Amino acid sequence: MALLVDFIQNTLDGLALGASYALLALGFTLVFGVLRRANLAYGPAIMLGAYAAAWAGQSFHLGLIALFGITVGVTVLAGAYVERLCFAPHRKGSAIAAMVASFALWMQLEEAATLAMPRHLYAFPGLHDGGMLTLGPLFLGVEAIVMLAAAAAVCVALWLLLYRSRFGIAVRALIDSPSAAELSGINVGAVSIAVFALASAIGGIAGFLIVSSHEQLTPMLGMWSTLKGMLAMMLGGLGSLPGAVAGGLVLGLIEAHSQWYLGPQFRDFLAYLLLFVLLSLRPPWMNTRSAY
Amino acid sequence: MDEYAFGVLTNIGLLSFVALSAYLLLVAGELSFGQQAFFGVGAYAAGIGTAMLGWPLPLAALGAMACGALAAAVVGLPALRLRGLYFAMATLAAAEMLRIAFELLHWQVEVDGEPVGPDGTQGFRGIRWVFEHGVEPAGFLALVWSLLALVLALIFLAERSRLGTAVRALGQDAELAASLGIDVLRFKLGVIAASGALAALGGALFAHHNTYIEPRNFDIMLGVHSLAYALIGGLGTALGPLLGVALDIGVLEGSRFLQEYRMIVFGGLVALLLVFRPRGILDERLVHRLTRR
Repeated sequence: MALLVDFIQNTLDGLALGASYALLALGFTLVFGVLRRANLAYGPAIMLGAYAAAWAGQSFHLGLIALFGITVGVTVLAGAYVERLCFAPHRKGSAIAAMVASFALWMQLEEAATLAMPRHLYAFPGLHDGGMLTLGPLFLGVEAIVMLAAAAAVCVALWLLLYRSRFGIAVRALIDSPSAAELSGINVGAVSIAVFALASAIGGIAGFLIVSSHEQLTPMLGMWSTLKGMLAMMLGGLGSLPGAVAGGLVLGLIEAHSQWYLGPQFRDFLAYLLLFVLLSLRPPWMNTRSAY
Repeated sequence: MDEYAFGVLTNIGLLSFVALSAYLLLVAGELSFGQQAFFGVGAYAAGIGTAMLGWPLPLAALGAMACGALAAAVVGLPALRLRGLYFAMATLAAAEMLRIAFELLHWQVEVDGEPVGPDGTQGFRGIRWVFEHGVEPAGFLALVWSLLALVLALIFLAERSRLGTAVRALGQDAELAASLGIDVLRFKLGVIAASGALAALGGALFAHHNTYIEPRNFDIMLGVHSLAYALIGGLGTALGPLLGVALDIGVLEGSRFLQEYRMIVFGGLVALLLVFRPRGILDERLVHRLTRR
C-alpha cells in the first residue's frame, strides 16, 4: 500500500514538473516547426525576463500580476532581438549559422542578466503561502496545481489559435512545407516573427511559473530552460505540438520516478539514456531521416 | 614573455584541439553537441594513466586517444544514422551521460601515502606528471603547439588527398556522395573516431596542464563553444578553428580590455559576423581564392 502511495505521489509530482517542461517545449517546438532552426537563446531570453521581473519586484515592490507581465514582456522583447539578429538573416541560409548565432546571443543575454544582478541566488515571490492540497495520504502543492492548470490553459488557447484561426492555418502550412506555404501566398516573414513572439510569450509564462514555484532565481535558469525544452521537444518529435506536451510530461515523470527510486544522480542520466535509446531506435513519431 | 602570456597561449592551444574536432565533423556535415565528452574521456584516461598507473605521459596520451576514438565510435555507430539536430541531440545525450558517469566514478589508489584518482563530483586531483618531470611552462607550451602543428599537418595532408575530397563531398550532399560510391556511414564513422581521438588528446594535455579536473569541466558549454569556434573561424581550412579560439581567448581575454562586458561585445559581434559570413571568416570561398595561383 505504501509502495502504491509513493508511486502515485511521484506520478503527481512528475506530472507537475512535466507540465513546466511541456510549456518550455511548446515554445521551442513552435519556433522549430516554423523556422526549422533550433533557438539556443530561448532559455536565456526567459532568464532575462525573470531577472528583469525580480529586479523590478525588489526595486518597486510590485505584485505578482506585474511581475508576470514584466517576465513575459521582457522575454518577448529579448526573443524579438534574437529573431532579428539570428533568424531573420538566415531564413533561407544556413541552419548551423543561425544556431551558433543564437548561442552567441545566449552568452550575451546571460551576461547582461548576471551583470545587472550578480548574486548566485535571488528570492522570487511564490504564488501562495505554502498551502497544500491533501487527499488522504497524497499531497499536491498549490503551485503544482497552478502549473498543471496553466499548461492545460496554454494548450487549449494554442489549439484554438492554431486550429481555429486563419493565422493558425498559415502556421500549420509553414510547419508542413515552407515552400508550399510561400507559393500559396503566405507572408512567411511576418508569420515567422509572430510565431517567434508567441513562442517567447509561452516561454515567459513557463519561466514565471517555474521561478515562482521554486521561489528562487539562479543564473542556471537560462541553460536549464534551453536543455529541458530541447529534451522534451526531442522526445515527442521535432516540431510536433502534441509531441511537445507528451515529451514534457514523460520527461517529468521519468525524472520524478528515477529520483525517488534510484537517487538524484540518476535523475538526469535516465532521461538522457531514454533519449539516446529512442533516437537510436528511430521510432516513427521522430522523423529522423529528414535533414534539419 | 610572462607567466600570463604562457597561460593564454597554452589555453588557446588546448581549446584548439576540441575546436578542431568539432570542425572535422562540421566538414563532414554533422553537428555535434558532444565533443566535450571526448575531451573529458581523454582527460580522465590520461590522468589515470600517469597519476594512478605510473605510465609516462606519451603512453598515457596515446591511451587517452584510443579511449576517445572508441567512445566516439560507440556513440557514432547508432547516432550517425540520424541527421541534423537529431544527431546533435544524440551526441548531447551521450555526452551528458558520460559527464554524469564521471560524477559517479570513484576509484582511488594510494600514491606516496595519498589517495589519488577520480572522486566523483570532488574531481580528480594530483595529475602532476608534468611538474614531477620538471617540464617548464615554456616547455609545455612548446609541446602543446608542436602536437597541434602535427595534427594540422595531418589534416592538411588528408584534405589534399582523395579522403579529404570524399569527406567534403559527404558534407555537401550525403546522398550525392553515396551515389558516387562513397560509403557514407564508414567515412562518417572514421571522421567521428578521429574527432574523438583529437578531442581526447586535447583533454589529456588539459588534465596535465591543470593537474586537477572535475566533471563540470566537461559540460555542454565547452561543446557548444568549440562548435562556435569552428564556425566563427571558418569551415574552409583547419586554421579556421584556431582563429576562432584565438579571437575569443587571445584577443578579448588576453588583452583584458572590456573585462566584464566581454561576452556582451563578443556575442553580438559573432552574431553579426555570421550574418555576413555564415560559414565563418576563413570560409571555403576565401580559402579557395587565397590558395589559387
